[in-house]
Amino acid sequence: MIQKEVEWRMDFDQAISLAGKENKAVLLDFFNPE
Amino acid sequence: MGAVSYPDSLVVNFITENLIPLRIQSDAEPYVSNFKLRWTPTLITLDPKGVERQRTVGFLQPMELIPSLLLGIAKVDFDMGCYVLAMERLERIMTEHPTCAVAPEAVYLRGVAGYKRDGAAQPLKDAYEKLNADYPGNLWTRRADPYRLL
Repeated sequence: MIQKEVEWRMDFDQAISLAGKENKAVLLDFFNPE
Repeated sequence: MGAVSYPDSLVVNFITENLIPLRIQSDAEPYVSNFKLRWTPTLITLDPKGVERQRTVGFLQPMELIPSLLLGIAKVDFDMGCYVLAMERLERIMTEHPTCAVAPEAVYLRGVAGYKRDGAAQPLKDAYEKLNADYPGNLWTRRADPYRLL
């Protein structure tokens, strides 16, 4: 069985543009890569 | 968050269905400065124009993350004047996640959204009565205290 994952966007402007098109809120996660 | 909460299948489904998920590294400018980031994990709910509507700092278990995200979306609806939609989401928190940390805030905000929608005080009084019955002593119960006089 394939485990689904959250498909994160990494580009702020693209995410906001997509949110406008889909009329959705954006979940912005500031993550620490370490 | 990445090891425990994000892999949870309920969390994956909730985020996929309801949000545009965006990850920014904690040293990436100009976002760190623009959003005044001081600590991770920090989760911010933005409206479709990129305006911040909710922020949480610190780890959230899956059972707390989903209602917290739902509250963030409800705040987007509320701030955009979509009170009926906000109330539907807040009621979902109240019924599906009544013991979660944000449930009292959801009850409070639902009362305010009802007042904004109707222009009548009854939703505020209802919110106080539910808070006093279900969450006595909670911060949001104390904040709603004046509404008992309505």
